[in-house]
Amino acid sequence: MDIDPLLEITGLTKNFGGVVALAQVDLRVMPGQIASLIGPNGAGKTTLFNCVTGLMAPTTGKISFQQQDIFGTSAHQVAMNGIARTFQNIRLFSEMTVLDNVRIGCHTQSRGYLWAAISRNRAYREEELQITTDAQELLQFVNLENFATQIAGNLSYGDQRRLEIARALATNPKLLLLDEPAAGMNPQETNDLIALIRSIRERNITVFLIEHDMKLVMRISEWITVLNYGQKISQGPPEVVQSDPRVIEAYLGQSAGSNH
Amino acid sequence: MTLFLEQIVNGLVLGGIYALIAVGYTMVYGVIQLINFAHGEIFMFGAYFTFLCLAVLKFPLWLAVLASILLCALMGVVIDLIAYRPLRNAPRLSALITAIGISLILQNLARMIWGAEPRRDLANAKSAFLSQTVIIPGGAQLSYLDLSIIILAILLMVGLNRLISLTRIGKAMRACAQDKMAASLMGIDTNRVIGATFAIGSALGAVAGIMVGMRETIEPTMGYYKGVAAFAAAVLGGIGNITGAMLGGVVLGIAEVLGAGYISSGYRVAISYILMILVIVFRPAGLLGRASAKRA
Amino acid sequence: MISMSSILSSRSGLILFFLCLVPLATAYLDQGDYLLRICSTAYLYMLLALGLNVVTGFTGLLDLGYVGFYLIGGYTAGLLMARLGWSYWAALPVAAIHGGLWGLLRGAPTLRLTGDYFAIVTFGFSELLFRIVKNEEWLIGGPNGFVNDIPAPTLFGYELWQYWQQYYHILILLILTLLVVYRLHNSRIGRAWQAISQDEEAAQTMGINLHEYKSLAFAISAAIGAIGGAFFAQFQVNISAGVFEFWESILILCMIVLGGIGTLKGALIGAAILGSLGEVLRISLSWMRLPADSRYLIFGAILVMMMRFRPAGILRSTQKSP
Repeated sequence: MDIDPLLEITGLTKNFGGVVALAQVDLRVMPGQIASLIGPNGAGKTTLFNCVTGLMAPTTGKISFQQQDIFGTSAHQVAMNGIARTFQNIRLFSEMTVLDNVRIGCHTQSRGYLWAAISRNRAYREEELQITTDAQELLQFVNLENFATQIAGNLSYGDQRRLEIARALATNPKLLLLDEPAAGMNPQETNDLIALIRSIRERNITVFLIEHDMKLVMRISEWITVLNYGQKISQGPPEVVQSDPRVIEAYLGQSAGSNH
Repeated sequence: MTLFLEQIVNGLVLGGIYALIAVGYTMVYGVIQLINFAHGEIFMFGAYFTFLCLAVLKFPLWLAVLASILLCALMGVVIDLIAYRPLRNAPRLSALITAIGISLILQNLARMIWGAEPRRDLANAKSAFLSQTVIIPGGAQLSYLDLSIIILAILLMVGLNRLISLTRIGKAMRACAQDKMAASLMGIDTNRVIGATFAIGSALGAVAGIMVGMRETIEPTMGYYKGVAAFAAAVLGGIGNITGAMLGGVVLGIAEVLGAGYISSGYRVAISYILMILVIVFRPAGLLGRASAKRA
Repeated sequence: MISMSSILSSRSGLILFFLCLVPLATAYLDQGDYLLRICSTAYLYMLLALGLNVVTGFTGLLDLGYVGFYLIGGYTAGLLMARLGWSYWAALPVAAIHGGLWGLLRGAPTLRLTGDYFAIVTFGFSELLFRIVKNEEWLIGGPNGFVNDIPAPTLFGYELWQYWQQYYHILILLILTLLVVYRLHNSRIGRAWQAISQDEEAAQTMGINLHEYKSLAFAISAAIGAIGGAFFAQFQVNISAGVFEFWESILILCMIVLGGIGTLKGALIGAAILGSLGEVLRISLSWMRLPADSRYLIFGAILVMMMRFRPAGILRSTQKSP
């Protein structure tokens, strides 16, 4: 293969005290892909996202993004490097307006600092204008342009999910991590989400998502990695993963266990 | 040498008092993650309630002390009920500001009722027995009062440790400190546990208040000064850690007496602030704490 | 100033216009100077409330020792002017920078810790400063401070010691501070602060460097406090330790709580009310034969009631569920 992976994780391990949340996980996301990370509850999926985005310090292993080592890099630096994310339990700045949420996302794309902000010089005014234009464009992209002045916390659940995606896109990422974007959505909203994810990819942004909705995963993913109890048990295109006995066992085993 | 020994003993007495107050801060912090600024004022009211029972109600000393401890326990519970409980789900800042407000109200209430001037009523009311002194090995003098403070503080601390580790309510407290949500799912009535925490902490604070009243004077600002020092002791030991608070109290008591004796008496109060800041800079989890001070 | 009309809406401009006229009106009153003094004090508190609001309001960290920077500014300017003969106009910026540096230093150890530790350190820091100025007589005159030896600032050869001059002096400082804080609040920096106050982790994933932006807030807030202190030093002519007790920090906190934490209008209104109410209370309490300190009972009640019933301030009744 000629193309280098966008995100490459090798031997990633994360311990919480004595509990091993991730054990020697290897994983790759190729540029331009829509990739998924699946597995039963407690498999370590969100922990992996947290390690990649710098919100948690991994124990050992290697994480490289665009051939650069980002292991242990602080969260804001990871964002500056071009990795954005959303959260499983939506974490908007809920008391700010919808537009301001997206404008905060433009932080990585702007430089205006003390003197610029106080003097409001020309460069600053142009930058602010640019930020606002970009933010409005993104709101349009996720169909929230009519809610720009509303308080983010007052949006409906599905709208909040889309706003969080717009906010993440505002950081101008090369890789977008979505943590259960379809959670709590009805079939119609899920369909819209699929369309949205595809159009994000068309903006040359690689998408890597955690999801429990198997129909969605199988429909849009080109590559799937399966975790169970912190270990990678399978990977491949949807049809391969779907028929992998270890995957079936992991899911069946869990549902059988929960029936007791 | 005798002087040094006397100061160490003095420091121990002060340390025992600080430890009694500090556990109140640390227990509440452990259970609801709130710095209860009003705790110092409860300690102060412990002294004033005793004075009130003696001077106005003409209770005998033992009854006055008992009544004051119960009143303070009740006061702690009521403060939690009317001021803190409604804010359980509000931002942390709200509860902290409320705690400051309660502390202001109580301190100035005391000033309005009893005046600002220091009173020696409690010191004068203690029995002649407590005023006697013994010479301990090494030549230092120790009053019976100081001796009983040290013994009582140790007994209460041991008792508290037993209570926390052995009884049902103690176990429930530890469960709530770990994870309130899980504790309530396990059928623990968290509000009752929090109430009990306030009651026990306040009762111990009242005991300390009475001790200080008999040893020194009572005044409306005593809760502020001693409260801050005791809070520093709690931070020193690792806030949320009960054994740490006891240790912190003793360390601070000795440091304060030695510092005032050998460095400068003008900075006596400042020693607790300095230790508190040093601990936060170099060892934020405290002498005995785990790394819980760090954000998760 | 440069483009004042574009920054302040016309209503604000109108208010400002009337504020500028006040000294003309008081010139005809018996108690005119006293009234000007109360107004100047209120403006000073408004400036301090704006400064405290930068940390406690914008980034959501409880500062229990804001008076420490007021103290640093006051003593820095006082020492430079009274002992070294500096001009006020040189001492003022130096005091601001000095305060800002201490703001950075004070906040540094708490950057990795939770907000509770910030509150503790801020408290300890200002109490420590208070003890130092109270004890170190060789340096700053001890508990009695400087006695009447801080000279009045001069401008074009005129000494600015009259009440109407002081009135314009603090009004200008207040407006400049308001301008700076307003512009910061509505900038990329202000948005970063707001993000931090609502969700630190989410803010980080937006590329916001927590340590950097918190430190920035610490420094700016402290510098404003120090500017207030420098003004106060020459306003009072002498300064003494007693002014900088813990309760003063609480009073300023109370102002921003009353007006609504995190908003500029709230800080201004809260400070205007309590800054002048303080004077009224002082008089009426002594008339009622209550100790002057019992006004803190009222401040305490304000803190408790506001948090319980109007956490967003007296102006805004809508409360969002947390």
